[in-house]
Amino acid sequence: MNAITVLIISLIGIGVGYFLYARTIDRSIIRPDGSKITPAKMFMDGVDFTPANRNVLFGYQFKSVAALGPIVGPIVAVRWGWLPALLWVILGTMFIGWVQDYGSIIVGVREEGQTFGALSFRLISRRARTILLLFIYAYLLLLMAAFGKIVGFDLMTNPAVPLGVLLVMALGMAAGHMTYKLKMDILVTTGIVVVLSFVGIWLGTLGPIKSLIVTINGGATSPVLFGSVTWAQFLWSLVVLVLCYLGATLPIWRWAQPINYVAFWIVFLGIVGGTIGLVIWHPSIPADFPALSSFDGKLGDLMALGPLWPLLFVTIACGAISGWHSLVSSSGTSRQLELETDALYVGGGSMFLEMFLAVLSLLCATVGVGYDKYVALVGKGANAGVFANGLAAFLSQIGVPVSFGLPYGAVFLTLMALTIMYLCVRFMRVASAEFLGDVVPVIRNTAVGTIVALALSALLIWTGFWSYVWILFGGSNQLMASLALLIVSLWLKSKGKNYLWAFLPFIFMFITSIAALLTTAFQVIAANLKGGLPIDKVIGNWIAGGLAIFLSLAALVLAWDAIRALARPAEAPKTAQA
Amino acid sequence: MVADPPRLSTWCETLRKCGRALRDILYGMTTYEMVRDLRKERARLEHLFVLITMGDLLGIPILPPYYSLRLLPYVLPCIEGWRCCLLRERDLTDLTDFET
Repeated sequence: MNAITVLIISLIGIGVGYFLYARTIDRSIIRPDGSKITPAKMFMDGVDFTPANRNVLFGYQFKSVAALGPIVGPIVAVRWGWLPALLWVILGTMFIGWVQDYGSIIVGVREEGQTFGALSFRLISRRARTILLLFIYAYLLLLMAAFGKIVGFDLMTNPAVPLGVLLVMALGMAAGHMTYKLKMDILVTTGIVVVLSFVGIWLGTLGPIKSLIVTINGGATSPVLFGSVTWAQFLWSLVVLVLCYLGATLPIWRWAQPINYVAFWIVFLGIVGGTIGLVIWHPSIPADFPALSSFDGKLGDLMALGPLWPLLFVTIACGAISGWHSLVSSSGTSRQLELETDALYVGGGSMFLEMFLAVLSLLCATVGVGYDKYVALVGKGANAGVFANGLAAFLSQIGVPVSFGLPYGAVFLTLMALTIMYLCVRFMRVASAEFLGDVVPVIRNTAVGTIVALALSALLIWTGFWSYVWILFGGSNQLMASLALLIVSLWLKSKGKNYLWAFLPFIFMFITSIAALLTTAFQVIAANLKGGLPIDKVIGNWIAGGLAIFLSLAALVLAWDAIRALARPAEAPKTAQA
Repeated sequence: MVADPPRLSTWCETLRKCGRALRDILYGMTTYEMVRDLRKERARLEHLFVLITMGDLLGIPILPPYYSLRLLPYVLPCIEGWRCCLLRERDLTDLTDFET
């Protein structure tokens, strides 16, 4: 099948999903009213609650939800064959993904901007809020481990990458200084910093710099430091954790915000350039890349991932459906919506656009890299390297040399991951202070809270198997999404509206996510009991298994409470007082 | 063939609208977040200032009422936002909306 045909099928999916299904639900069930006052206007404080133009909010929502997930998920999932991965991305978004994003925004708007913590307390049970928060903490920990491992073990160990990443960071800080201290024009700052960032990435590709990094890495084949972790992996993952520490503790304008701003341009130009290159090239998916490999995800000599159901549906989370979106939608977007009628455009529209990004990533793996190279790269553990290679192939069609495109793709992914990791550490720090602050007062200290969050992340990064950690992260993400769908369903039920369009996706996602977590728990525990693993992997497997069981139990308790809440009668409609 | 002026102007208007929408989307992806952060920073300082000067409203008399009343006309525009912000119940999941 030609890549352009795949893109056209995705566009048809967007058309049918957005313009037929989503609009029908929006108009017949939710019935948004443009004349109703939204929380953004009702509680306008100029800070959290501020009405924003629908296009601005669309851009904000898309940027907040599209991270590493829609890129890495499809690359891993093509091990079951590209067809099931493509179908899940398109159908998942059409019937489930947008429902969650849009539903979260609508519930937030209609419930005076309340977030999921408060809503779960009110709609489900008293303990639901605590469970949800513990759940989010574990989910973010897995996210940190999955992203940290990709960046520290895979991307940064490439000698052509670290200098580019570090220079972009330094230039981001310079951009913050130029904007806030020197009061320079943002366009001038952007121009200077983005051009210098590209120069920095190019510098990283020069022979002497690469030789220096190879020396720092301890040679072309880095020596093993402990267990199965090499010196280079340890060093660069430590650097990533230090960057996260700075991102979580320095003032937002000094570090995270300007670096994210510069990173956005690097990523944005890469996506635009890659898409143009793909369209000019318009290759076919190679015949040797199987549409469907095997039910257990065994592709060539690669290790089998596990059963297609449930694992494929959690391997691709963002790009089909992701719990992260519900957090952003309910706590951020719903408080800035100017009109109720904008909810579908902002929530649903950005989800469908993210689906398009996931399809591009899938094409990176299939047509950009090809079967043999894909198997070789994944066999070496370079899952993220697949994307960098694919993007380099697309960019080469518009004249960008592969020797530059390859490190550029790696820097692109690293920046995307770090952008989210800062936020996660910040949240984990505050959450731990909230939970344990009364019992262990020292945890309220910013540095201590951050170090605890990073130490837990480091433990998983240095011990866990990446494929298991990724699936667990996907499972917790999907479970989070299913809980968001549950809250939306409960809210619809409480208002006496048809809730099946949210409840049926909830049932599917809930059962699938629990099954995926338990399958992974079984796999890691069985691997440990079988023996023969290095000590670091044994520790990582026990932690991963424990987390999987904890998340499953927490979700089951929450679901039990929710089912009891579902049995409650609907709220009586409010009548006007005489 | 003579171009149809009304149709051309309609096209131009549509293109202008698309351009404006794209510009807004790009703004939303880039500097909007920075603007929000700056607003938050300013609001925090303003709220602190109002708390110090108008603490009486909450039963926290920090400044003698004489000075509070002298400052009242300057603080008045902020009071509504300040009140909303102080009275709003917060949840930990609020923090997922970016920085904490």
